[in-house]
Amino acid sequence: MAEAKHWYIIAYDIRCPKRWRRAYKLLQGYGESLQYSIFRCWLSQRDREKLRWELEKILTEDDRLLLTGLCNRCVERMQHCNRPESWPTDEEGHRIL
Amino acid sequence: MMVITNDSIAQQATLRVSALHAFAYCPRLFYLEEVEELYTQDAAVFAGRRLHVELEKQEDEAWEELFLESEELGLRGRVDALRTRDGNTIPYEHKRGRSHRDEHNQPQAWESDRLQILAYACLIETVLQVPVAEGRIRYHADNVLVHVPLNEAGRQTVQTAIAQARSLRASLYRPPVTENERLCARCSLSSVCLPEEARLAHDREWQPVRLFPQDDDRQIIHVLEPGSSVGRTGDQLKITRRNQPIEKIPIRQIGQVVLHSFSQISTQALHFCSEQGIGVHFISGGGRYLGSFDNRHGSIQRRIRQYGALSQPETCLELARQLVICRGQGQRKFLMRGQRGKDPVPEALQQAIHQMKATLKQVNKAPALETLLGLEGNLAALYFGALPHLIGDQVDPLLQFDGRNRRPPRDRFNALLSFGYALLLKDVMNSILTVGLEPALGFYHQPRTQAPPLALDLMEIFRVPLVDMTAMASINRGQWEVQADFEVRGVQVWLSDTGRRKFVDLYERRKAESWKHPVTGYSLTYRRLLELEVRLLEKEWSGEGGLFGQLVIR
Repeated sequence: MAEAKHWYIIAYDIRCPKRWRRAYKLLQGYGESLQYSIFRCWLSQRDREKLRWELEKILTEDDRLLLTGLCNRCVERMQHCNRPESWPTDEEGHRIL
Repeated sequence: MMVITNDSIAQQATLRVSALHAFAYCPRLFYLEEVEELYTQDAAVFAGRRLHVELEKQEDEAWEELFLESEELGLRGRVDALRTRDGNTIPYEHKRGRSHRDEHNQPQAWESDRLQILAYACLIETVLQVPVAEGRIRYHADNVLVHVPLNEAGRQTVQTAIAQARSLRASLYRPPVTENERLCARCSLSSVCLPEEARLAHDREWQPVRLFPQDDDRQIIHVLEPGSSVGRTGDQLKITRRNQPIEKIPIRQIGQVVLHSFSQISTQALHFCSEQGIGVHFISGGGRYLGSFDNRHGSIQRRIRQYGALSQPETCLELARQLVICRGQGQRKFLMRGQRGKDPVPEALQQAIHQMKATLKQVNKAPALETLLGLEGNLAALYFGALPHLIGDQVDPLLQFDGRNRRPPRDRFNALLSFGYALLLKDVMNSILTVGLEPALGFYHQPRTQAPPLALDLMEIFRVPLVDMTAMASINRGQWEVQADFEVRGVQVWLSDTGRRKFVDLYERRKAESWKHPVTGYSLTYRRLLELEVRLLEKEWSGEGGLFGQLVIR
């Protein structure tokens, strides 16, 4: 059970502002918001399943959710094809403030 | 020794049905969860819960969720779904995985699932007073429905299992790892139980499969600026600094928060960190380790075992010898590395290496802790005496080093070492608290000041690779500004703000480097090794010893 982690893009459409707010707050605990309703998260399988479960409790039939894993190559290409600020890269194991 | 009897309590409390499921899977898993209160949820657990939420939404019929408890039976549990089919009450259980296949390739329930559904059936019978003829399990992966009839034999199985589980819950003895190692690969607690390492301890020929997580890549946040404050907003930590934009960090990306000097942390943030298993540590402005926020829950069984083992003088002596050898060899190997590329090799360096070898030979025969302390003192004197020879000639004389001194450090090199050891102590404490041991009860260092002896013990293993080597390498690379990075006040020398920032960075980078563990044979980053080493130490007194204190640099 070595915990490999991967990048995920999470995008959603939520019809009701109340549920939207709950989902938004939840996702902020997992990753960073790139654009409105688009998050990127660095998750292990365990985190991913936990997040899916927690989202499932919030969302209803009307809502849309897209959760997609990215391979390393995808991430490289993401940096290549887009504006530099769309995929910030400063992943360090520590931060000094 | 005081014996704590919790029989009466254990007899009263009912068992969860899911604990019975764990018991049927592996008694050790049951023990770790129920008695030692270690509970980690893996991906499968959450996937299972999501299945239940999804099923709830799909169901047209009213979804009944029942919480039942029976003192008579000694069980409690939440029944997933209760249906009435042709006048019979039938409990249903949904499983995400596949069913078991018998020799005719017919779908069957797994043994643990069978026990679980039978237990629910018995519980319903006892509490609701309705006859239950069978339970059903739906396996969603291969989409089959398995019927499990409840007969006399089934009731008997449940009762036997409850009795066995209860007596195990009352015992102080942790069951051995299961013989079926395939169970471990799918077990949510394998990184805590370390079954492969336990097998290796009994059989050195064993080829361990790596079950210990490779890395914890959650960030370590150092708050260096005084006047900063750490708060909570939603699921994020909010860090406010003077004249700086507010920084928000998702909580799941954080592993530790280290507050240097006088930074604030709000009670809300502290509660939140504790809830999420994030270490909170305090280091003084002068670079001394002050303490950590203790967020251990439960784990009392582990500490009772620790008290039991470490109140035996022989056990302590044995572990202490191993520790002194580990550290001494590490120091010696580091000096030997320093010989490389030096021509001619300084006489004093060669001599120290030679003498250390002789001293190390005596360690195994040391009859008492006092003798060991003496030997360790000799080793340290030899080591620090020879260490200046490892500093390159081009290095500024102000960074030269002439013997270890501390409280306060009197030269720049010692200032680096002292600050490094404070950071290391913080990390060792973090691992001890994560594992749930008692830092105040060690085996080598004697309790004197408020410094926790067990942390001081464990620190010995990592001093050379994490601090000494980092400091030496950075000095030889010329990374230090003699004036800007240090503050000299009379005889005392401290790191300045920029110096501290630089050293924290160097140290954290060093911790992210990986190293192949000499016994288990797989490589891990130093940050993982810190935790692994504490877990291996805990195994020393659980009958699975022999792996602790083997980390010696090559």
